[in-house]
Amino acid sequence: MSEAEKAEYRGQVHQLQKELMVDWYRRLDESAGTGSPPAVSLLVSGNCVELLEAFDILPIYPEVNALQLAIRHQSLEPILAAEELGYAADNCAYVKADIGALLKGITPTGGRLPIPALALCNFVGCNTYVKWFEHVSEFQKVPLFMLDVPFLRTDEPSKDDIVYVVRQLRELVTELERITKRKFDYDRFKEAVRNSSQVEELWSRIKHLSRKTPSPFDAFFDAITLMGPLYVYRANPAGVKFFQAALEEFEQKAARGEGPFGSEKFRLVIEGPPPYPFFRVFRDMFAKWGACAVASTYSTVGGLWEFGFRHDPENPFEAVAMHMLAHNVTNRNYLQRYEQIRRYVEEWNAQGLIIHFVKSCRLFSAGQGDMRDYFTKELGVPTLYLESDIEDPRYFSEAQIKNRMDAFFESFGHTPAPVRARAAGRPGVDPGRPDGSSRLRILE
Amino acid sequence: MRFAAGVDVGSTQTKAVIVQENGGVRVLAQALIDTGANVQKAGENGFLAACREGGISTQQVGFVVGTGYGRYKILFGNAQMTEISCHARGAHYLFPNTRTVIDMGGQDSKAISMGPAGNVLDFVMNDKCAAGTGRFLANAADVLGVSLDEIGPLSLKGKNPVKITTVCTVFVESDILSYLAQGKKAEDVLSGVHLAIARRTISLARRVPVEPAITMTGGVSRNAGMVQALEEVLGVKLQISPEAHFAGAMGAALYALEKMDQGFEAGVWDGTHATNRGH
Repeated sequence: MSEAEKAEYRGQVHQLQKELMVDWYRRLDESAGTGSPPAVSLLVSGNCVELLEAFDILPIYPEVNALQLAIRHQSLEPILAAEELGYAADNCAYVKADIGALLKGITPTGGRLPIPALALCNFVGCNTYVKWFEHVSEFQKVPLFMLDVPFLRTDEPSKDDIVYVVRQLRELVTELERITKRKFDYDRFKEAVRNSSQVEELWSRIKHLSRKTPSPFDAFFDAITLMGPLYVYRANPAGVKFFQAALEEFEQKAARGEGPFGSEKFRLVIEGPPPYPFFRVFRDMFAKWGACAVASTYSTVGGLWEFGFRHDPENPFEAVAMHMLAHNVTNRNYLQRYEQIRRYVEEWNAQGLIIHFVKSCRLFSAGQGDMRDYFTKELGVPTLYLESDIEDPRYFSEAQIKNRMDAFFESFGHTPAPVRARAAGRPGVDPGRPDGSSRLRILE
Repeated sequence: MRFAAGVDVGSTQTKAVIVQENGGVRVLAQALIDTGANVQKAGENGFLAACREGGISTQQVGFVVGTGYGRYKILFGNAQMTEISCHARGAHYLFPNTRTVIDMGGQDSKAISMGPAGNVLDFVMNDKCAAGTGRFLANAADVLGVSLDEIGPLSLKGKNPVKITTVCTVFVESDILSYLAQGKKAEDVLSGVHLAIARRTISLARRVPVEPAITMTGGVSRNAGMVQALEEVLGVKLQISPEAHFAGAMGAALYALEKMDQGFEAGVWDGTHATNRGH
């Protein structure tokens, strides 16, 4: 076992997460056998799991299934199966892995997955996702509900945007009543939304703990562990319980001054998802250097709560609409993503930014070259740009990525760099000080 | 008198440099061999050849830093560093005014932005594609049936460079063949190939600030045609040392010397890099 592996943090929270996710897959398997409870396929980005919870419907996240296949090194077979069918080499690999797995009967756990009662496409910002759910609907012969959530073009959604989404959510309720043969229970919906707001508060407090030095957990790799329960159980009391336990564990670690591994040498912000087929290899590349993520954008794909948004149980439909429209990173505009990362760098006291470009996801990755320029040239934040894929193992070149990573961390050890932004007369952040102390501060 | 070594195991060739410190620092010896299939042997042989060249025994070398893709296979070394750090350091040693390094090697091309002390500020590299690297040139040379050493001088004779539209190392072969079929001269085809690579490399390099003075390192710097094409695209002169091919190994050797200054002893883990020496 390598040093990095030995140093990896495995807490109670990881065990609890595993139990919850195993239980979810067990219930999906049961549902596949008995048809009860019914299941609905939906997407992670700005998901509206609260409405499903109000009907006791099981969520199926094809993205989670796809990444589970990748992390278990099983994604290539279904990807190739989808390509044989005609999906292009540069098509989203999540889509190919999911469709291929569907056709070949592959599931991440080996258990059964139910045929959904509805394919609910709740994120239409990505055209490929729209096609994905059309295909899911076609291949599985299930009805499709296209929930049209407009992209956030300005800082806040317009009143019309909110009304537009709420009206569709009400149509969705009618559809869910048909599926479950149950009347919609508004109080249960409010209760589900209340659970979500509690989870969001706990999750947000967890995320603010990583401002401490050392951060008690890795806000990229460990945050990914917490993302499963966040999407599947957010509106359920089990989710509240899980996040209470997680907060407690991280608070205790923070009080003891413990990080996720031996000693924290670098504090980073990570933009983009991980290369799931090489999750462990990728994590070790950071651990080797004592590099800890203190914040990440990927952990805000399902929802962005650390800046204050909570679902409001008193206005549940509007709250769900607001979450879908404005409070998840994928539906926000690019300048807002810049701002989110800038705040992470400054307020979470990070020394650098890692951008992981996902070859098969143009939606998330397009524009990251400009983002790199903005952070290096305008703000003077050392930024490393890596390219591989979230799901397809063929795009991961270990030697190349390791080389870039090593060079990036080596460069911190050189004589501290003069700040280009400062030299150019622009406000910026200081990437380093000679004594190696807190490297980043906002310039006057 | 102290000796330190840098061994750069590249994808195509292995370079080893020994520096000697006796008041000042100077390069005592350098060696160049093909890497071949046995990466570990290549590192050892390169190091031994440089020791022989310098007339010293391997035991006299106080510290060895390995670099290049094969650096983790330099089992006799004391530390590893990436070639990005090492090329920057080597370029700074050769030309202290360097602010940008353009390094073209067998399978890598990279641009490094540097501070005045030779520190790396930023870098970009080609990704999963050999366009703009030595391999692209080698393929072109193969198709035309000329040696790698000849293509540079030959390309300089080209008066009407053809337009190479592909940047794919594999498909450039069909492009070249089609131009030859049209009766284009080999020198014009090669001139076009060099310009295509230069444009590709400079567009990559512009992602870091390309600020003068610009120093070129790596094996391709020996190709006069490539140098001219790059200068044409950039509009400025490049600084090229006759030792440019060895810049990575040289930087590694200088880092090795620095490690000795910092009190790192051979066989003692420096806290950031693995070491295998002495085992």
